[in-house]
Amino acid sequence: MSADQLVRPERPTASVVHRARRALGGFDRRMLPVLGTLLTLAIMLGVGQERYSTDRVDFVSMKLLSNLLVDNSYLLVLAVGMTFVILTGGIDLSVGAVVALVGLAIAQMFTAGLPLAVVLVAGVLIGTICGLLIGVMVQVFDIQPFIASLAVMFLARGLANVVSVNSLKIDDAGFSALAAWNITFGEGRTSWRINASMLVALAVLVIAFVVLHHTRFGRSVYGLGAGDQGAAINLMGLRPARTRIWVYTISGTCAGVAGVLFALYTKSGFNLTGIGMELDAIAAVVIGGTLLSGGTGFVLGTGAGVMVYGLIQVLIAREGLDSWWTRVFIGAVLLAFVVLQRVLAVRRR
Amino acid sequence: MSTTAAPGRTTASRGAEIWREVTHHGLFWPVVALLGLLLACGVASPGFLEVTVRDGHLFGQLVDLARNSATPLLLALGMCLVIATGGIDLSVGAVMAIALAVSLTYLDGAADPSDLGTVLTAVALGLAVGALGGAFNGAMVAVLGIQPFIATMILMVAGRGIAMLVTQGQITTVSSPPFKTIGSGYLLGIPMPVVIALVTFVVVAVVVRRTALGMFLESIGINREASRLAGVRSRRTTWTVYVIAGTLAALAGLVYGAPTMAADANNIGLMKELDAIMVVVLGGTKLDGGRFYLGGLLVGAMLLSTLERAVIIFQLPSQTTPLFKAVVLIAVCVAASPTLRAMLRRTRRAVVATPAPAEQVAA
Repeated sequence: MSADQLVRPERPTASVVHRARRALGGFDRRMLPVLGTLLTLAIMLGVGQERYSTDRVDFVSMKLLSNLLVDNSYLLVLAVGMTFVILTGGIDLSVGAVVALVGLAIAQMFTAGLPLAVVLVAGVLIGTICGLLIGVMVQVFDIQPFIASLAVMFLARGLANVVSVNSLKIDDAGFSALAAWNITFGEGRTSWRINASMLVALAVLVIAFVVLHHTRFGRSVYGLGAGDQGAAINLMGLRPARTRIWVYTISGTCAGVAGVLFALYTKSGFNLTGIGMELDAIAAVVIGGTLLSGGTGFVLGTGAGVMVYGLIQVLIAREGLDSWWTRVFIGAVLLAFVVLQRVLAVRRR
Repeated sequence: MSTTAAPGRTTASRGAEIWREVTHHGLFWPVVALLGLLLACGVASPGFLEVTVRDGHLFGQLVDLARNSATPLLLALGMCLVIATGGIDLSVGAVMAIALAVSLTYLDGAADPSDLGTVLTAVALGLAVGALGGAFNGAMVAVLGIQPFIATMILMVAGRGIAMLVTQGQITTVSSPPFKTIGSGYLLGIPMPVVIALVTFVVVAVVVRRTALGMFLESIGINREASRLAGVRSRRTTWTVYVIAGTLAALAGLVYGAPTMAADANNIGLMKELDAIMVVVLGGTKLDGGRFYLGGLLVGAMLLSTLERAVIIFQLPSQTTPLFKAVVLIAVCVAASPTLRAMLRRTRRAVVATPAPAEQVAA
């Protein structure tokens, strides 16, 4: 009794602290991986600013941001599509091969004399079909996403090889104009630009954000990742089967779009492009704070993950290190984030 | 009358039962595919199935196929055990590259690359590096509890960079006849890679199937927590399995790279992890874990290399190989899926059900 009375006066403050901590904790746990990504991004920018700024030009500038977006627009689109799949607890290994296939198909279609609009739409649709194929295998035939997307990866790679084993140049006037289109701001060393592929990539990111966080479909995607084969979302009146097919179709479509963007970037199609690109996309998603087990993650985090990815390459190039260091560093960053995710997951339990 | 009819009927039904068992065996379709392919190759290219002895060595297309199966078989052996625990090892291709890079770099720096002791040290170093890579994977999976897919992806991404660091970005080439023997020598007339792969296969099979290890692996694959509670040292076992997979990947790398003696960090073992997974799947092991068939790996590895060879024999461009791999992979997976079985059963029932009323009318 007396002990209780002794403790009682302290209760209100304790509960306030407790409540604040709980509120903060509730916020933090979901956001922590993304905060980690942003922190990494900030540190990298800081290091870059410290080491590579000159009196005339800052390292951190609109120019850097615009170059990052231009150079990684295809990766951003791929990673956004991959985010959908990973949120449901699946994986899509086919995207790199699809990018190669789409690039070659575009080149071939231009050679055949098809108009620009048809070529672009057909290019994207190739990706959609590949994604749909994976979705049907996963949902209808109950094949693991890993193996289904692996099969489609082999399929797309083989088809790309059938189209051509040589690099095909794309020299269509309309396509070149689209690739060259940009709006330039500023002058000289501080100039930066907006181009078409960057706008497409940002549009894809915004659409994905709206779809994932503000629609019934988005809730189904998160629900599928909960780990009970979609039983819960079935009870909620959402449709697991349809959603699962859709996420792969979306990922495939994104791969189609990325294929078009990559073709715009390189103005050619080549059957060996995109080897390992699916891993770059997965790495970007993981660095962006999405859990590979599904159910947790933010598509905007994926955007930050792609930036981290691009910055690693920029910093290594600026540092004058050999390019193979890139892969070692990406592995190290990946390791750090996976361990971070793991620590957070343990805390939650 | 019924008594005399009964034995006949049971034999017939037993025959049907055996037939059912055979066709439902996980290896039925892969074996059919392999035999079909071999036959088709034999028809398309006379002399394909011939094995001759030349200079005391076995010689022929089939021997080549077996030689080409050695690398995927070694990789798939480790992969199969990992998959049995419900895991996956994506790093095997990168580990191949690192192991070969380390071995050849050591040989390159040695005073006499042809010295047997030096070669043995180089091989041991390569295998040790593979084991180290496997230990890293195993620590991530077993101790930190990270999903195997992502844990091994880290080494897959970083590994090729590490191999490049070892070779300083060059393609290291060495001349060392004893080392070369690993890849292109013969033992009792049989190509060395085949000998190495088969001996390894038998050793692994005996260890896994004659001790309780295989059962432990499967129990971990079915339910890690339950097997831990039942007294299986799941952490240590899982770790061991990844170390084995890493070591076997290193061995595969040495066997694969020995004939050319060139450590090309960018290309050795590229996409080989996917070939290994394909061999495991073709061998009838499901990726879910909990059950595995080692015998199937022999069929799977042969099927893979026969497929690669068939593309050439049918005079198709060799770069279309992935296309056929995809078709075979999809066909085997779909054929094995319960959904298709259920669909077929429904159609069969529908077909059987339709004539039934007609018979009744006739009666």
